[in-house]
Amino acid sequence: MGKSLMIVDDSATMRKIIMRTVRMSGLEFDRTEEAGSGVEALQKLESGPVDVILCDINMPEMNGTELVKKARELASCSGTKIVMVSTESAQDLIDQVMSDGADGYITKPFTPEKFQEKLAPLLN
Amino acid sequence: MITTMSLRDSLLDSAKEVFETMAFMALEEVREDQEAPRLEDETLLGTITFKGSLEGCLAICCGCRCARTIGANMLGADPDEPMSDDEMSDAIGEVANMVMGALKARVQNEVGTMEVSIPSVVRGRELRNSLGDRASKITVTVNLEEEHGMQFSLLYRESGD
Repeated sequence: MGKSLMIVDDSATMRKIIMRTVRMSGLEFDRTEEAGSGVEALQKLESGPVDVILCDINMPEMNGTELVKKARELASCSGTKIVMVSTESAQDLIDQVMSDGADGYITKPFTPEKFQEKLAPLLN
Repeated sequence: MITTMSLRDSLLDSAKEVFETMAFMALEEVREDQEAPRLEDETLLGTITFKGSLEGCLAICCGCRCARTIGANMLGADPDEPMSDDEMSDAIGEVANMVMGALKARVQNEVGTMEVSIPSVVRGRELRNSLGDRASKITVTVNLEEEHGMQFSLLYRESGD
Protein backbone atom coordinates (compact mmCIF):
# COMPACT_ATOMS: atom_id res chain seq x y z
CA MET A 1 0.00 0.00 0.00
CA GLY A 2 1.25 3.52 -0.85
CA LYS A 3 2.47 5.96 1.73
CA SER A 4 0.89 9.27 2.66
CA LEU A 5 2.53 12.54 3.63
CA MET A 6 1.34 15.70 5.38
CA ILE A 7 3.34 18.95 5.32
CA VAL A 8 2.58 21.39 8.14
CA ASP A 9 3.97 24.91 7.80
CA ASP A 10 2.35 28.34 8.13
CA SER A 11 4.14 29.48 4.97
CA ALA A 12 2.45 28.32 1.75
CA THR A 13 5.71 28.97 -0.08
CA MET A 14 7.67 26.78 2.32
CA ARG A 15 5.10 23.99 1.95
CA LYS A 16 5.65 24.09 -1.83
CA ILE A 17 9.43 24.13 -1.38
CA ILE A 18 9.29 21.13 0.95
CA MET A 19 7.03 19.27 -1.48
CA ARG A 20 9.43 20.00 -4.33
CA THR A 21 12.42 18.89 -2.24
CA VAL A 22 10.69 15.63 -1.29
CA ARG A 23 10.09 14.93 -4.99
CA MET A 24 13.74 15.79 -5.79
CA SER A 25 14.87 13.38 -3.07
CA GLY A 26 13.34 10.48 -4.99
CA LEU A 27 10.94 9.54 -2.19
CA GLU A 28 7.46 8.67 -3.42
CA PHE A 29 4.14 9.24 -1.69
CA ASP A 30 0.78 8.23 -3.12
CA ARG A 31 -1.11 10.83 -1.16
CA THR A 32 0.06 14.24 0.02
CA GLU A 33 -1.76 16.94 1.92
CA GLU A 34 -0.93 20.25 3.54
CA ALA A 35 -1.89 22.15 6.66
CA GLY A 36 -1.17 25.80 7.40
CA SER A 37 -1.19 25.44 11.18
CA GLY A 38 -1.02 22.90 13.97
CA VAL A 39 -4.76 23.32 14.53
CA GLU A 40 -5.59 22.53 10.89
CA ALA A 41 -3.20 19.56 10.94
CA LEU A 42 -4.87 18.09 14.03
CA GLN A 43 -8.32 18.46 12.48
CA LYS A 44 -7.13 16.58 9.39
CA LEU A 45 -5.38 13.90 11.45
CA GLU A 46 -8.53 13.28 13.49
CA SER A 47 -10.40 12.42 10.31
CA GLY A 48 -7.63 10.26 8.85
CA PRO A 49 -4.03 9.44 9.76
CA VAL A 50 -0.99 9.75 7.49
CA ASP A 51 2.25 7.79 7.41
CA VAL A 52 4.63 10.77 7.64
CA ILE A 53 4.26 14.35 8.88
CA LEU A 54 6.84 17.00 8.05
CA CYS A 55 6.25 19.76 10.58
CA ASP A 56 7.58 23.27 11.16
CA ILE A 57 8.13 24.41 14.76
CA ASN A 58 7.58 28.17 14.81
CA MET A 59 3.95 28.62 13.82
CA PRO A 60 1.17 30.84 15.14
CA GLU A 61 -1.88 29.35 16.92
CA MET A 62 -0.33 25.97 17.72
CA ASN A 63 3.41 25.45 17.28
CA GLY A 64 5.06 22.26 16.08
CA THR A 65 6.07 20.98 19.52
CA GLU A 66 2.47 21.24 20.74
CA LEU A 67 1.27 19.48 17.60
CA VAL A 68 3.67 16.57 18.22
CA LYS A 69 2.34 16.11 21.77
CA LYS A 70 -1.31 16.29 20.67
CA ALA A 71 -0.79 14.00 17.66
CA ARG A 72 0.79 11.42 19.95
CA GLU A 73 -2.41 11.43 22.04
CA LEU A 74 -4.41 10.34 18.97
CA ALA A 75 -4.72 6.57 18.69
CA SER A 76 -4.93 6.92 14.91
CA CYS A 77 -1.44 8.50 14.81
CA SER A 78 0.35 5.81 16.82
CA GLY A 79 2.22 4.64 13.72
CA THR A 80 2.73 8.07 12.16
CA LYS A 81 6.32 9.21 11.77
CA ILE A 82 6.77 12.88 12.62
CA VAL A 83 9.83 14.74 11.36
CA MET A 84 10.37 18.35 12.36
CA VAL A 85 11.63 20.79 9.70
CA SER A 86 12.84 23.99 11.30
CA THR A 87 15.44 26.77 11.33
CA GLU A 88 15.89 26.07 15.06
CA SER A 89 19.14 24.21 15.62
CA ALA A 90 19.65 24.38 19.39
CA GLN A 91 20.43 20.87 20.62
CA ASP A 92 18.31 21.22 23.77
CA LEU A 93 15.25 22.06 21.65
CA ILE A 94 15.92 19.12 19.31
CA ASP A 95 16.31 16.80 22.33
CA GLN A 96 13.07 18.13 23.80
CA VAL A 97 10.97 17.67 20.66
CA MET A 98 12.41 14.18 20.12
CA SER A 99 11.49 13.22 23.67
CA ASP A 100 7.99 14.68 23.07
CA GLY A 101 7.50 12.16 20.28
CA ALA A 102 9.14 13.37 17.07
CA ASP A 103 10.99 10.72 15.04
CA GLY A 104 13.44 12.98 13.24
CA TYR A 105 14.69 16.51 12.74
CA ILE A 106 15.76 18.39 9.61
CA THR A 107 17.17 21.92 9.82
CA LYS A 108 16.47 24.60 7.23
CA PRO A 109 18.15 25.26 4.84
CA PHE A 110 17.92 21.68 3.61
CA THR A 111 18.79 19.60 0.56
CA PRO A 112 17.02 16.67 -1.18
CA GLU A 113 19.84 14.44 0.09
CA LYS A 114 19.00 15.40 3.67
CA PHE A 115 15.36 14.42 3.15
CA GLN A 116 16.44 11.08 1.66
CA GLU A 117 18.80 10.45 4.59
CA LYS A 118 16.23 11.26 7.28
CA LEU A 119 13.01 9.95 5.72
CA ALA A 120 13.97 6.79 3.85
CA PRO A 121 14.76 4.77 7.03
CA LEU A 122 11.37 5.76 8.48
CA LEU A 123 9.47 4.52 5.45
CA ASN A 124 10.75 0.95 5.59
CA MET B 1 30.75 39.36 23.82
CA ILE B 2 30.82 38.58 20.12
CA THR B 3 32.61 41.10 17.91
CA THR B 4 31.04 43.15 15.13
CA MET B 5 33.42 41.57 12.61
CA SER B 6 32.49 38.08 13.71
CA LEU B 7 28.77 38.89 13.45
CA ARG B 8 29.30 40.42 10.02
CA ASP B 9 31.14 37.35 8.73
CA SER B 10 28.50 35.05 10.22
CA LEU B 11 25.71 37.09 8.60
CA LEU B 12 27.34 36.88 5.17
CA ASP B 13 28.12 33.16 5.51
CA SER B 14 24.54 32.48 6.61
CA ALA B 15 23.10 34.40 3.65
CA LYS B 16 25.38 32.55 1.22
CA GLU B 17 24.40 29.18 2.68
CA VAL B 18 20.68 29.90 2.38
CA PHE B 19 20.85 31.26 -1.17
CA GLU B 20 23.10 28.49 -2.45
CA THR B 21 21.08 25.69 -0.82
CA MET B 22 17.50 26.88 -1.19
CA ALA B 23 17.51 29.23 -4.19
CA PHE B 24 20.51 27.84 -6.10
CA MET B 25 21.85 31.38 -6.44
CA ALA B 26 25.31 32.78 -5.80
CA LEU B 27 25.79 36.02 -3.94
CA GLU B 28 28.92 38.11 -3.70
CA GLU B 29 29.61 40.83 -1.18
CA VAL B 30 30.06 44.31 -2.58
CA ARG B 31 33.18 45.69 -0.90
CA GLU B 32 33.45 49.28 0.28
CA ASP B 33 35.71 50.22 -2.63
CA GLN B 34 33.21 48.86 -5.15
CA GLU B 35 30.20 50.64 -6.50
CA ALA B 36 27.08 49.39 -4.74
CA PRO B 37 24.30 48.15 -7.02
CA ARG B 38 21.25 50.39 -6.91
CA LEU B 39 18.17 48.90 -5.32
CA GLU B 40 14.97 49.17 -7.31
CA ASP B 41 12.63 52.00 -6.28
CA GLU B 42 10.00 49.67 -4.91
CA THR B 43 11.43 47.22 -2.41
CA LEU B 44 10.45 44.45 -0.05
CA LEU B 45 11.81 44.51 3.50
CA GLY B 46 11.72 41.20 5.35
CA THR B 47 12.44 41.43 9.07
CA ILE B 48 12.72 39.04 11.96
CA THR B 49 13.43 39.98 15.56
CA PHE B 50 15.40 38.12 18.19
CA LYS B 51 15.87 38.43 21.93
CA GLY B 52 18.24 37.00 24.50
CA SER B 53 21.54 38.38 25.78
CA LEU B 54 21.68 39.96 22.34
CA GLU B 55 18.46 41.48 21.02
CA GLY B 56 17.59 43.12 17.74
CA CYS B 57 16.37 42.65 14.22
CA LEU B 58 17.67 41.03 11.06
CA ALA B 59 16.44 42.60 7.82
CA ILE B 60 16.64 41.72 4.14
CA CYS B 61 15.89 44.37 1.57
CA CYS B 62 15.61 43.83 -2.18
CA GLY B 63 13.65 45.07 -5.16
CA CYS B 64 10.43 43.42 -6.31
CA ARG B 65 12.05 42.04 -9.48
CA CYS B 66 14.79 40.50 -7.37
CA ALA B 67 12.25 39.05 -4.92
CA ARG B 68 10.33 37.51 -7.81
CA THR B 69 13.50 35.84 -9.10
CA ILE B 70 14.35 34.50 -5.62
CA GLY B 71 10.82 33.17 -5.17
CA ALA B 72 10.82 31.50 -8.59
CA ASN B 73 14.16 29.84 -7.91
CA MET B 74 13.05 28.58 -4.51
CA LEU B 75 9.87 27.12 -6.02
CA GLY B 76 11.54 25.78 -9.16
CA ALA B 77 9.27 27.97 -11.27
CA ASP B 78 9.99 29.92 -14.44
CA PRO B 79 10.96 33.53 -13.50
CA ASP B 80 8.52 34.77 -16.14
CA GLU B 81 5.62 32.83 -14.61
CA PRO B 82 3.15 35.06 -12.77
CA MET B 83 3.76 35.19 -9.02
CA SER B 84 1.33 36.79 -6.61
CA ASP B 85 2.43 39.51 -4.18
CA ASP B 86 1.67 37.13 -1.33
CA GLU B 87 3.96 34.44 -2.76
CA MET B 88 6.73 36.97 -3.30
CA SER B 89 6.42 38.29 0.27
CA ASP B 90 6.20 34.78 1.67
CA ALA B 91 9.44 33.82 -0.11
CA ILE B 92 11.31 36.84 1.30
CA GLY B 93 9.93 36.11 4.78
CA GLU B 94 11.19 32.53 4.53
CA VAL B 95 14.61 33.74 3.39
CA ALA B 96 14.76 36.08 6.41
CA ASN B 97 13.70 33.20 8.66
CA MET B 98 16.34 30.83 7.29
CA VAL B 99 19.16 33.40 7.33
CA MET B 100 18.26 34.15 10.96
CA GLY B 101 18.27 30.43 11.77
CA ALA B 102 21.64 29.91 10.09
CA LEU B 103 23.07 32.97 11.86
CA LYS B 104 21.76 31.77 15.20
CA ALA B 105 23.41 28.37 14.68
CA ARG B 106 26.72 30.11 14.02
CA VAL B 107 26.71 32.50 17.00
CA GLN B 108 24.71 30.77 19.74
CA ASN B 109 27.81 29.32 21.41
CA GLU B 110 29.01 32.88 21.99
CA VAL B 111 25.76 34.74 22.67
CA GLY B 112 23.63 31.99 24.21
CA THR B 113 19.97 31.30 23.62
CA MET B 114 18.19 33.52 21.09
CA GLU B 115 14.42 33.54 20.88
CA VAL B 116 13.32 34.35 17.34
CA SER B 117 10.01 35.84 16.12
CA ILE B 118 7.96 34.93 13.07
CA PRO B 119 9.12 36.98 10.03
CA SER B 120 7.18 39.88 8.60
CA VAL B 121 7.48 41.54 5.20
CA VAL B 122 6.48 45.02 4.06
CA ARG B 123 6.56 46.55 0.59
CA GLY B 124 7.30 50.18 -0.20
CA ARG B 125 9.88 52.82 -1.07
CA GLU B 126 12.98 53.80 0.91
CA LEU B 127 12.22 51.32 3.69
CA ARG B 128 14.52 51.38 6.73
CA ASN B 129 14.57 49.49 10.00
CA SER B 130 15.53 51.10 13.30
CA LEU B 131 16.13 50.05 16.90
CA GLY B 132 16.81 53.33 18.69
CA ASP B 133 20.03 55.07 19.72
CA ARG B 134 21.76 52.29 21.64
CA ALA B 135 21.74 49.84 18.75
CA SER B 136 24.68 48.86 16.56
CA LYS B 137 24.11 48.20 12.89
CA ILE B 138 25.86 45.93 10.42
CA THR B 139 24.97 46.28 6.76
CA VAL B 140 26.14 43.87 4.08
CA THR B 141 25.42 44.75 0.45
CA VAL B 142 25.57 41.92 -2.06
CA ASN B 143 25.24 41.23 -5.74
CA LEU B 144 22.90 38.34 -6.43
CA GLU B 145 23.84 36.38 -9.56
CA GLU B 146 25.67 39.57 -10.67
CA GLU B 147 22.26 40.99 -11.56
CA HIS B 148 20.40 42.14 -8.49
CA GLY B 149 21.43 44.35 -5.59
CA MET B 150 20.36 43.26 -2.14
CA GLN B 151 21.03 44.33 1.44
CA PHE B 152 21.24 42.35 4.65
CA SER B 153 21.32 44.29 7.91
CA LEU B 154 21.56 43.39 11.54
CA LEU B 155 20.48 45.86 14.21
CA TYR B 156 21.46 44.69 17.67
CA ARG B 157 22.23 45.66 21.23
CA GLU B 158 23.12 43.89 24.42
CA SER B 159 20.03 43.21 26.46
CA GLY B 160 19.60 45.10 29.72
CA ASP B 161 18.21 41.94 31.38
